[in-house]
Formats: sequence, structure tokens, C-alpha cells
Amino acid sequence: MKKIKLISLILTIIIVSSCTTTSKQVKTSNSKIELDLFSSSVDQLLTNENFLKSEILKINASKPSIQRILNESDSHWLKGNLKKANSELERALRISKNESSVFLRLAHIRLEQGLNLESGSFAARGLLISDVSSWERLLLNVYAKD
Amino acid sequence: MKNRIPVKSALLILLILLSVFAIAVVAVIDQRVTSKLDGVLWTVPAKIYSRSLEIAEGGKINVSNLLKELKLLSYEENDSPINPGQFYYKKDNIKIFLRGYKKQNSGLYEINFEGNKVESLRRQDGIRIDLITLEPMAIGGMYPSHMEDRLLLDWPQVPESLVKILLAVEDQGFFDHYGISLKSISRAFYKNVQAANIEQGGSTITQQLAKNLFFTSEQTIKRKLVEAVAALLIEFHYSKQEILLAYINDVYLAQSGTRSIHGFGLGAQHFFGSSLNNLDTHQLSLLVGMLKGPSVYNPRRNPKNALNRRNTVLGVLRRDGLINEQNYLDFKARPIKIIKPSYRSETKYPAFHDLVRIELRNNFEEDKLRSEGLSVYTNIDPIFQESLENNIVATKKKLVKKYGKRLDDLEGAAIVVDIQNGEIKAVVGSTNPYQFGFNRSLNAIRPIGSLVKPFVYLSALEKYQQYNLTTILDDSLLSVPVTNNSFWEPNNFDKKYHGNVPLHKALWQSYNIASARLGIELGFDSINKTFQSLGIEKEVPRYPSLYVGSFEMSPLDVIQAYQTIASDGFYSPLRSIREITDLDGESALSYPYRIEQRFRPEPIHLIKFAMQQTFTKGTARGYKQKTIDKWNVGGKTGTSDDQRDSWFVGYAGDYLVLTWLGFDDNRSTPLTGRTGALELWKSFIEDVDPNSSTKPVLPRIKYVWTDINDGNLSGPRCKNSIYTPFIIGTEPKNIPDVRRKCGSASEEEASSVVKKLKQVFEKIKE
Repeated sequence: MKKIKLISLILTIIIVSSCTTTSKQVKTSNSKIELDLFSSSVDQLLTNENFLKSEILKINASKPSIQRILNESDSHWLKGNLKKANSELERALRISKNESSVFLRLAHIRLEQGLNLESGSFAARGLLISDVSSWERLLLNVYAKD
Repeated sequence: MKNRIPVKSALLILLILLSVFAIAVVAVIDQRVTSKLDGVLWTVPAKIYSRSLEIAEGGKINVSNLLKELKLLSYEENDSPINPGQFYYKKDNIKIFLRGYKKQNSGLYEINFEGNKVESLRRQDGIRIDLITLEPMAIGGMYPSHMEDRLLLDWPQVPESLVKILLAVEDQGFFDHYGISLKSISRAFYKNVQAANIEQGGSTITQQLAKNLFFTSEQTIKRKLVEAVAALLIEFHYSKQEILLAYINDVYLAQSGTRSIHGFGLGAQHFFGSSLNNLDTHQLSLLVGMLKGPSVYNPRRNPKNALNRRNTVLGVLRRDGLINEQNYLDFKARPIKIIKPSYRSETKYPAFHDLVRIELRNNFEEDKLRSEGLSVYTNIDPIFQESLENNIVATKKKLVKKYGKRLDDLEGAAIVVDIQNGEIKAVVGSTNPYQFGFNRSLNAIRPIGSLVKPFVYLSALEKYQQYNLTTILDDSLLSVPVTNNSFWEPNNFDKKYHGNVPLHKALWQSYNIASARLGIELGFDSINKTFQSLGIEKEVPRYPSLYVGSFEMSPLDVIQAYQTIASDGFYSPLRSIREITDLDGESALSYPYRIEQRFRPEPIHLIKFAMQQTFTKGTARGYKQKTIDKWNVGGKTGTSDDQRDSWFVGYAGDYLVLTWLGFDDNRSTPLTGRTGALELWKSFIEDVDPNSSTKPVLPRIKYVWTDINDGNLSGPRCKNSIYTPFIIGTEPKNIPDVRRKCGSASEEEASSVVKKLKQVFEKIKE
């Protein structure tokens, strides 16, 4: 009985894997372009601080209340008032401790303040949050590895 | 014949001398008028505030704590809240009429909640909003030696109705006279002559200001004359509006302990817990009425007098047409409702105040703190602070009852910290926490006992190739040569040896010998490095007894080190202050959230696992697993030699709490960490019931079943097995034969099938 189960499982896997192989072959050219674009974006993230900042500003909070505070913080940040921006972000963290959008902003603001070690630490802290999207994770890693 | 000075010349000389004297007197008064009005009047002591509570849609809420907070802020329960400072609570719903604070408007807001979650927030008009902010609580100030306290108001902050009431009652001709009113003086003079005594003053508001600024309340002709000159000079130098504003800010209204309450701004807060703008005519009338005799008409001390006086003022307003008959009757029917004196009164929470003062003095000169009207926004959570204060008193009482009068002098300390950002939420420094005195949280330097052990074990777990949670430690006789003929031989608390024990068990059972041997094995340098990374700045002595806690630290320094562990390896300097703003509300100094990753999260996860076992199996056992999971709790007991110190440090939800009990003169107590400090910790945590915190995601951690005694692989169905975390690759691989049946054999088999399938799959792909 065990053997029959094992054989049928192997057969299923073979069928499924052959299907995925075919579809991959068809998509090759498109995904290569997408991959190139992605690579150039990652390059930009690593080399262009303004591009990185613009990407961070696009990351929204998971709760409307936090988003409202983020908007206030972003407006201070864009005016160059890092102190006020920071104070709003701390306010957001008091309400919700696990917001990757907040840790990303803190990481970038610390970078602008020349506090590279602290920037990396904020990012590393953000990476411990459970429901972080892969894009946010990638952004956090830009600072964590700085 | 002698030359005689003609009478005329003598009179002339006398006149000149008198004139010179008069000019000198006027000049002196003038100098005092300008210097006082330009200087001292505007000295405002720094005010210290608690954190402000923010309630967010979808956020966590502890309803019982919210109700306590409203009570502390002197909110009054009312079936239909229509005025600032009122609220109504029924199941799953609270309506609060907020007083307003910074960007938060005053108004009625409704909170609906389900369990400990905020379901919705609505404005009075039904529109959903996402955030509301309660005003912070004033918890004290940095008062000057004369203890005058005031809140400075600008002209736009002064309600027009106050000006009208004030002028109607105190000085109807204010805009017409030049500082003194001959009409008022002659009326007062006539009455005083009739009474053959000085019974009535004819003082204008300017004269009253002059009197408040320079003179005592003594009523003499000479003082009246000087006061009149000063009033004329004030009118000469300042505009009517400036004079009125100075009066409104300076007039004495009440005494609160040693602090004197000056000005209508602070008066409104002191009696109504509200800003002046929020007060209604009958409330303003009460304040204005008090000017006649702040003590006689004080509504707390003499409510009947105050009510009569208020109604007299309302009568004046009706007479002068400022209110109509209906309003008069309506206001007159209102009872006097003032807040309890605890709110916004004397400096509260002495131990926290100490901490704030130390931080402030590092950045500001004393004079500046006492005069420049700084607002100090702190991190204190008044609910936590009140609970900690009450619980240290209650715990001592309980222990005295249990162990007798020998604990009468028992002292204590406790600190609560927000794990993530290092904000200090509450501090007590004595078992009599309501008075200033020796603050043991900051200044008692005591041996930390077993609280040192997690530091030693963390040093080991950092070397994850050599040590993991099931590494076997030796808990048999240890004899370390100290000098030529003497040896140091640590003992366990139970005076027994436990042989070979897994590392995690040695920690949660707090075995001294195993810990000392581990510390010696790791070496001083390795452990000293861990100490520094945890944030311990003090120099550590190189004795082997260090590894069982002979090292001395203050509670504040200990909790700093544990903050680094509790926050998964991220060190954040502890802070009591958030921000300091100046009189204009501009930030003068902020204390931002600092963070530094000092440890990888994986070894910290392992040490926190062992610290959680303290609650499930170890020295802090007793809670149900459900509670342990809800709080994600972990901790460590500590008892120093001869039970001189009883310690407990533990985290629950988002908070880390340290407690200490002992005698100031270092004598032995009957308490261990478990029977003493843990009791205080538990009573506080159970009282505030912190919300659960989320666990970090650690992909490099794997859990396997191990045996609690030998540390080898085990299974869920085996006796004495424990689901233990390992850094991937360091977990034990082989299961002993004795546990093959109950152990993870089936799991092993299953994983080997998956492995084989993967291999087949890879081959097919190729």
C-alpha cells in the first residue's frame, strides 16, 4: 500500500514538474527583461540614495491610524525637519510595534543623519517582523548590510 | 551776630531736599516696577508631564486601564457627556468628551471595542476617525524657591468673557483711569472713616498688580501711597492691554501644599482640570470671585462661601447687563464642580521625578529649569506608576504579615521599561513610594545574585558551535584555589549537587556550581565582552564568584542590561524624557529612540527560551501555560548570599519589570527571589495585564524534542521531553535507543521519505 502511494506521488510530481518546465520555457524572454529591470532597480537602491528614499516613501502602513502619522512624518521629512519626522515615527511605533514601514523610514532618516550603525540596527529590527513583504525585506536589507 | 538763614531760603532748601528725596523714591520704585514686570513676572517653572495616551482604531486597548486613566485625569462619569472632562462607559463602548490637547480637538468621541481591540472610533457627528489623543497628566514641576507657579497666557488665549467679568467686578473704570481712581479712593475713604478703620480698598487693577508685585497684604497708609506711585508708573510704562494681561497671569488664586497658584491659566487647570478657554461663565465667575479672598472663597476649603461669592459675581453680571435674567438663574442653579486636588497638583511620583531631574540637569542649568517655562514630556505611564507604587506597599504589607515584624524596615525598588524603545514607564525607589527620599532604583548598589547567570549563559550561546541549550554542564563539587591555602567552593541554594544537567535546565533551576564552572570555562574576557554589549558600563571584578552574582549593580543598571536581552539583542539607552519644549511650544531638546544591535537574535532567542522555562518549570513556576503564552513571559530570580537581596527581573507583553527587596543595612532577609521580589513583580503584572507581544521571526531557528535531564533527542510522546530551540545545524541528531519507541523515530522516518522524494525530483529535473 505504501509503495502504491509513493509511486502515484512520484508520477504526480513528474507531471507537475513537466508542466512548469514548459511554461518556464515560453516565458524566458519576458522574464529576462523583468529580471534585468529588477537588477537595475536593485543597483539603483544600492547606489542612488534619492531613489531609495522615493521607494521608502511609497511603503504604506498596515493600519490607517499609523498611515496618518506616517503622512505627517513624511511631510516633515520632505521639508528636511528630521527631528519632527522622527518624533512622529516614534509615536507610530508606540501605537503599533511591528510596522516595517516605520522601521524603513527610521533606517533612512538615520542614514541622512549620518548614523549608519543605527540605520542598520533599525533595519535589522524591522527584519524580525513576521509579515514583511519580500520587497520590504529587500529594502530593509539595503540598510541592514550597510 | 550770627548769620541767620532766612526762613524762605530754609523752606526752599527743605523743598529741594524733599523733591530730591521724592525723585529718588520714585526712581527706586520705577526701577523695581520695570524690572519686575519685564522679568520676574514672566518666570515660569518647568512643568513635567506624563505620556499622552493615544487610542487607535484596530489597536490594542486595556479598558480597565483606560477607565483608571480617565479617573486620574479627573474625567467625571456622566450618562450624557456634554462638557469637556466627562465620559460614559457601558459594555464595549466608551464616550469621552475630550478636553483637547495639541492637534486633538476638544469634543465628544465614541470608542467601540471588542475584547482588547479597538473596533471603531467615531466623532460626535458619527464620522469614523482613526486616532484620538488624551491630554497628558501634569505630574510636577521644577519650582523656584518662592514656589510660585503659573501658566503664562497670551492675549489671544484670554477669553473675552473673563475680561468682562473681571472688569465688572474689580475695576469698572479700568480703561478710564491712570492707575488710581480718585472716585474709588474717596468711596473707600468715606467707608473707612465711618468704620474708623481701613476696611475697604479703592484699588484699581493696576494698583492690585503693583501690590501683588512688590508688597505684602499689610494695609497701611504708607504702603497705599507707594502702591499708588507704582500704579502710576506702571500706567506710564505699559499699555492697558499689557497691564491686564500681566494681572491675569500674576494674580494669586490659591495655595496647593507649598506651591502657590498664580494666574487664571493655572487656576483653571487647578480647579477645573481644563484650559481657560473651556470654562463657562459660572466657572469664570467663581475664579474672579476668589480674588476678594483666595483663602476665604476657596471652593475646596470653603465651598459654601465660594458658592455665595460666585452668585454675587453673577448678580453683578446681571446688573451690568452682561448676562440676562434667564442666564443668571441658570448659572446660579449650577453646583460648583471642581476636580480632585490630586490632579495637576503637587509633584507626584517622587522616584520618577528624581530620574527626570537627573536627566534634566545634565542638559539644563537650574535657573533655566525654574524660570523659562519649559514643558518636559516624559515617558511615565501614570497607570503603571500608580500600580507599582500601590503594589510595593501592598507586597510589603503581605510579607510583614507572613514573616513578622522583622520585615518592618524592608525596603524595595522597582522599574518598568518598554522593551522595544527603552522608555521608562514607572519607577519606585522605596516601600514608602509617596515621599521623596533615598531612591534605591537609582542609588542602591547591591549584589545581583543569580541575575548574572543569563549573562554568563548568553556568552556561551554566542559561541553556538560549542554550546547550545542541551550542552551538558557539570554541577558537581567545584573547588577553585583563591590564595595559597584557600579555595572558593560555590554551593547550590538547595545545598545539593545535580551532576550532569543540560545548559537550559541549569539556568532555569539556577544552579550555582554549573554556572560558575561554565563562567570559568568561558573565561573572564568573554564574559566581560558580553557585559559590555549588554550595556553594563561599570568595571567588572575578576573574581570567579562574579559568575554566581557577587557583582554589585543598581536596579537601573541591571534593567538596562536585561532590556538588551528582552528586545532580542537590540540595546536602547533607557530614557525617562521624550521631549522638552519651550514657552512657544518649540522643541528645545528631544531624546530620540536610539538602537544598536549588540547580539544576533538567535542566541538571544535561546536564552529567552530558558528564561521562559523559569515560569513553566523553574523558580517562577505557577502560571498556567495559557497565561505564559499570552504574555510571552520570561524572567530570572536572584538571591544574594545569606538572602540579603531578593531580585526578580522578567518581561511580559511589551514590558520588562525589575523588582528588588532588601534591607538598607544589608542584613539577611527571610526572602528569596521567588518568595520576595517575584511576589511584587506578579502583583504588578497581574494588575496591569499587559497585552501580548508578537514573537520575532527567526528562520535560522529549529525546534526539536529533547530530554529535560540528559539533553538528548526525544519525542513529544516521551516522558520529560521539552520542545527546544536550536540554531539550525546545532541540534542533536541521534535519538538514544531507550527513546526510540516514544521518540521522534516516526518523524525521522517521515523526514527521510521527504528527503528521498526530493532526490528523485532533482533527478527528474536534470
